[in-house]
Amino acid sequence: MNTDSLIETLARDVGPVPRHAVGRRLLFGLLAGGTVTVLLIAVSLGFRSDLGLAMHGFTFWMKWAYTMSLGFAAIAMVARLARPEPVHLSAFWPVVIPFVLLAIVAIAEMAHVPSGDWLAMWLGQSWKRCPWLVLMLSAPIFAGLLWSFRRLAPTRLRAAGAAAGLAAGAWAATLYCLHCPEVSALFVLTWYSLGILLAAAIGALVGPLVMRW
Amino acid sequence: MRASEDQLKTWMVEGLDGNAASHAALLRALVPVLRAFYRRRVGDGDAIEDIVQETLIAVHTRRISYDRERVFSAWLFAIARYKMIDHFRRTRQTCPIEDVEDILFAAGFEDEANARMDVDQLLAALPEKQARAIRETRIDGHSVADAARTAGISESDVKISVHRGLKALSARIRGERL
Repeated sequence: MNTDSLIETLARDVGPVPRHAVGRRLLFGLLAGGTVTVLLIAVSLGFRSDLGLAMHGFTFWMKWAYTMSLGFAAIAMVARLARPEPVHLSAFWPVVIPFVLLAIVAIAEMAHVPSGDWLAMWLGQSWKRCPWLVLMLSAPIFAGLLWSFRRLAPTRLRAAGAAAGLAAGAWAATLYCLHCPEVSALFVLTWYSLGILLAAAIGALVGPLVMRW
Repeated sequence: MRASEDQLKTWMVEGLDGNAASHAALLRALVPVLRAFYRRRVGDGDAIEDIVQETLIAVHTRRISYDRERVFSAWLFAIARYKMIDHFRRTRQTCPIEDVEDILFAAGFEDEANARMDVDQLLAALPEKQARAIRETRIDGHSVADAARTAGISESDVKISVHRGLKALSARIRGERL
C-alpha cells in the first residue's frame, strides 16, 4: 500500500481521546481482569466465612494496606512505562516502601510473641498454597493489562512486563485477602510477597514476547 | 518545508480531540520527517518506506499514549526509535556503530566530543614540548618516566614542562574569563 492511501485509511478512524486516556485504559483492563479473579475466588476458593467480622479487625486492613499500596505503586510504574519516552528505572524506588513498612510491623509483631511460636506464625495454615494461588489469580489481571497495552506504547518491554506482573500480583493478592484467613504480618511479608514477586518475574520474562508492537 | 514542533503538536492535540482533518495533516507532515530520520540511520534503502508506514500506524493506533502536556517530538522520536530497533531485530541486522552512539548517548557523546575539542584547542596554543608533556602525563595517563623516554628528554624536563604549560593555560583561561 502506498503511504498516501495508508494515511487516508488511518484518518478515517479518528475518535476523540479523553484526557488521562492512559489511566482510563489501564483501569479498564485492571477492572476486567479483577472481575474474573473475584469470580474465580468465589467459585473455587470461597470467601472467608468471617469476612464481615474480619473487616472490623486490624490484620485485615494491615494486609490490604500492604497489597493495595503495592498495587498503586505498581500501576504508577505501569502508567509511566506505557509511554515511550525514556525513563530512569531508579525513579521507581518508592515501590519498596510498602515492603519495608510491613517488615517493621512484622518485627514488632515478633517482639510480642514468644520465639517458640515464630515458626507457626511464619508458616500459618497455608504457606504451601498461598504464593501459588496469588500467582494463579494474577493471570486474569495480567491479561487485562496486556489488553490495555495494545493501545499504549511501551519501549522497555521487560520493565513494562515486570511492572504489569507486579501490579497484577499485588491486586490479585488484594482480592485473595477476601479468602485467606491468615493473620500474621510475617506470613504476608513472606508468602504474599513471594507470589507477587513470582508474578513480576514471569511478567519480566514474557514482556518482550507478548508486548511487542 | 518541514512543519515545526508547535504545528505538529497543534495537529496532534486537535486530532486527539477528534478532528480527523488535523490528524490526516499530522500524518502527512510526519512522512518527510520520518523518511529523513530513517534515511540517516537505516542502511537498507528499500526498507525505509515500510518502517515509515509502520511508524505512522503506531502513531495512529497508540496515540492515546501521548500526553498533551509533553513535547510532541520527544514522543514521536521515541516511537520512531523503537520501530527502528524492532526493524533491526527482525532483520537481524546490526546498527552501524556511529548510529548506536546517536541512538543511545546523543547528548553525552556530544559533550565528550566538545570537551576533547576544547582541550585540543587549548593545548594547541602552547609550545609543542609543553603540550606534549601535558597530554601524555595528564590526559593519556602515562607516567613521567614513560613520557620522558618517548620524548627523549629528562624526567625533570617533563615535570617542568607540565608545570609551565599548566600555569600558562590557567593564566590564559583566567584572562579569557575576565
